[in-house]
Amino acid sequence: MTDQLAQDVRANDVVEDATNHDILQRNPELEGLGNYAFGWSDKNATSDNARRGLSEEVVRDISAKKNEPQWMLDMRLKGLKYFDRKPMPTWGADLSGIDFDNIKYFVRSTEKQAGSWEELPEDIRNTYEKLGIPEAERNRLVGGVTAQYESEVVYHQIREDLEAQGVIFTDTDTALREYPEIFQEYFGTMIPVGDNKFASLNTAVWSGGSFVYVPPGVHVEIPLQAYFRINTENMGQFERTLIIADEGSYVHYIEGCTAPIYTSDSLHSAVVEIVVKKNARVRYTTIQNWSNNVYNLVTKRAIAHEGATMEWVDGNIGSKVTMKYPAVYLVGEHAKGETLSVAFAGEGQHQDTGSKMVHIAPNTQSSIISKSVARGGGRSAYRGLVQIREGATHSANTVRCDALLVDNISRSDTYPYVDVREDDVSMGHEATVSKVSAEQLFYLQSRGMPEDEAMAMIVRGFIEPIAKELPMEYALELNRLIELQMEGAVG
Amino acid sequence: MTELTEEKVIDSADGKVWSQGFIKGMTEEGEQLSEINPESGPLGGSAVKAHSHGDSHGGGIGIPDSSRAGRLTSYKLADFPLITGREEDWRFTPLKRLRGLDRVGVKGQELNGAAPAVEATGPDAVTVETVGRDDARIGSAGIPEDRVAAAAWEHFKEATVVTLPAEYAGTVEDVTTLTLTGSGETPAAAHILVHAKKFATGIVVLDHRGTAVLSENVEILVEDGANLTVVSIQDWNDDAVHASAQHIKVGRDAKVKHVVVNLGGNLLRTTPSARYSGPGGDVEMYGLYFADAGQHLEQRLFVDHSTKNCKSRVTYKGALQGDGAHAVWIGDVLIRKEAEGTDTYELNRNLILTQGARADSVPNLEIETGMIEGAGHASATGRFDDEQLFYLQSRGIAEDVARRLVVRGFLNEVIQHIKVPALEERLRDAVERELAASA
Repeated sequence: MTDQLAQDVRANDVVEDATNHDILQRNPELEGLGNYAFGWSDKNATSDNARRGLSEEVVRDISAKKNEPQWMLDMRLKGLKYFDRKPMPTWGADLSGIDFDNIKYFVRSTEKQAGSWEELPEDIRNTYEKLGIPEAERNRLVGGVTAQYESEVVYHQIREDLEAQGVIFTDTDTALREYPEIFQEYFGTMIPVGDNKFASLNTAVWSGGSFVYVPPGVHVEIPLQAYFRINTENMGQFERTLIIADEGSYVHYIEGCTAPIYTSDSLHSAVVEIVVKKNARVRYTTIQNWSNNVYNLVTKRAIAHEGATMEWVDGNIGSKVTMKYPAVYLVGEHAKGETLSVAFAGEGQHQDTGSKMVHIAPNTQSSIISKSVARGGGRSAYRGLVQIREGATHSANTVRCDALLVDNISRSDTYPYVDVREDDVSMGHEATVSKVSAEQLFYLQSRGMPEDEAMAMIVRGFIEPIAKELPMEYALELNRLIELQMEGAVG
Repeated sequence: MTELTEEKVIDSADGKVWSQGFIKGMTEEGEQLSEINPESGPLGGSAVKAHSHGDSHGGGIGIPDSSRAGRLTSYKLADFPLITGREEDWRFTPLKRLRGLDRVGVKGQELNGAAPAVEATGPDAVTVETVGRDDARIGSAGIPEDRVAAAAWEHFKEATVVTLPAEYAGTVEDVTTLTLTGSGETPAAAHILVHAKKFATGIVVLDHRGTAVLSENVEILVEDGANLTVVSIQDWNDDAVHASAQHIKVGRDAKVKHVVVNLGGNLLRTTPSARYSGPGGDVEMYGLYFADAGQHLEQRLFVDHSTKNCKSRVTYKGALQGDGAHAVWIGDVLIRKEAEGTDTYELNRNLILTQGARADSVPNLEIETGMIEGAGHASATGRFDDEQLFYLQSRGIAEDVARRLVVRGFLNEVIQHIKVPALEERLRDAVERELAASA
């Protein structure tokens, strides 16, 4: 798929600089050198003049444009207050490059939402063509697509059978208008308005994101997918996702991100809240592949009630800096939480990822499996917290994190916090960091495989336990991305 | 960066209580992560600010304070900001129970009590001297890494220096023991230097007893090719407060075995750190702790791999019983870019025997090069294995005896590595005593 995309990019005259373009035409081998596959950008008249910087006025403006109820405006303003007061994190990655005053907090790309593919403006449609969405739609591989383009959801469709089952899959702004009771009941309860600086920021200026409600007993067989794109230079994308899985239901939500390359830094700061009610199961899959100038600072949290299962599958390939620790609060007996995390830090990248499991009810279980690869001076870190609170008797947790280093300039860190307040629990943590062994390489090379291919194969094998948990298209994409990342890793 | 303000409370515009519907333990501001020091407030104080601007002596901008590479080190108390309790380094320590050790120099808090009396026994070849502050050897192995250690460094009056002469070859029977007996509750500072010269082999035991509020620096200097075992036993009376920073410097091809035994005292905070001054160094660090009701036993380790081909092994095991028993184990390992060929493994195991006890276990690993032999860590916290217990009971062993057997077996794994016969016996007895106290 990615190959196809890369060709599309070339064919579509996206290199805006004419001189560059000519040079590339004369020297086709230059194409692809240090080039990010999804790094085109469309000219966009609306966002060129969107306002930069954050103030109470901007927040009020966002709320007014969306015709929001008073409580949401109050919440946004409170978020802004907390954002101003909360300190920047003193741990994790270097965030000093974020210039909050140089970010566009709200960009509206089209005035109203389109109901079908044909209604979309042509340039937006082109962008999605490149991402392959209509294909997926035609093939009915996805349950419904909420594609995010410049903060507002401009296109989405729910398959008829989902609608018939009573599943709500819409963008968050629409949900606030059309399902106010259920929205207000859950919004901001898992991630309070002042939880951390970036969650506060998101609360103040959120826009877009997905809202999913699955009624009791309903199993959504096909994954729900959403594509997100940042398409404006210096534009922060602050989507807000809320997923509610009612008793005994099941849903698999897939979030995928690609963003074009720009010269200055972009900020992506999403908040994802998930309620998993009694005996329900939710799986949330992300393959994050922002271009290498994006700060990706995301707060994700789920609450798992009695007998419920929450699974995070979290892949971090792109971005300049990612700080993301999907959490599960196990509040009901026999609830289960699971995180599978894979991070790949290449040159100039810092992936600070992990997971958080908070055991509040007895007989709860959680596991975290993390795999990370660092190369070319990149930095990957596992940072996790496992907490067994008073009363969470007979709880069990295992954490396993493995890191693979392929050169001597990259860095890998492990910071696993464990906090146990009960005696009859079982906790285990294990971590290994290894390098690609000379023997493995030698063996593969002796079978006639070039060194870089051998290296890529070893890396693929390393992350295989997580790749196999992904839907097929995603597993292929992940493998392809790893290959792209590993190009030039040797020699 | 947005300017921080000290204001802590934001009034809800409509007076509504936002905590409703939140997850238990969560407020509008999320969770309080340093609940041990709740009074320090959610926004932190000077410490947060000092680090967020990357001050000149601590790490520069971009090195967060959770990275050991950026940790401030200084001999001067004034260089360290006041401790708020929110710092990564202090977040588990109940500051109120430090009895002023953290606030030396503030509001007339002094550190001038009498240091514990030192009594030395052991082979004649090993010299034990008492020297003044100006002795040239002081500072040859360590530099304080926190405010409490810096206060001790500034305030100690006399230091005890133990020297193993070059090529001295002690056997397991030749144990030099320093018995440090505390006798007062006035905050005091102490300083000890253990110096193993080139190719010396020997064993030094530091045995802390009595009552004290003590901040201590222990320097352990191991020259090239030496092989030194240092055992630090903290078996204080129940009300003692003891912060001990133990700085180990390992020479080329030297071998160090460092053992920490934390048994008695109200609050013990032991912070051993190991640094290598030449390739081929080999450090084994063992720890044994038994936390009773109300005891806070904190062990924070740091192994700094800064040269090639060095090895470290860390094994800490602890048992906890009784209400409010709290054990903290933090194991930081940093493998720097130049430390190719490093081989490291850390392990921490906690056995929680009764309800109400709490164990925090954090093995941190930071690696800046891929050219290593191996790196890993493991941490586990659990209770009795019911199956083991059942098995023993089915063999006719009463439950309390069976429990004791399991604990003994668990802690023995560390005791048997000490390889100092006289000590092993004593530690086994101590474990028995602790267990008997619970029955």
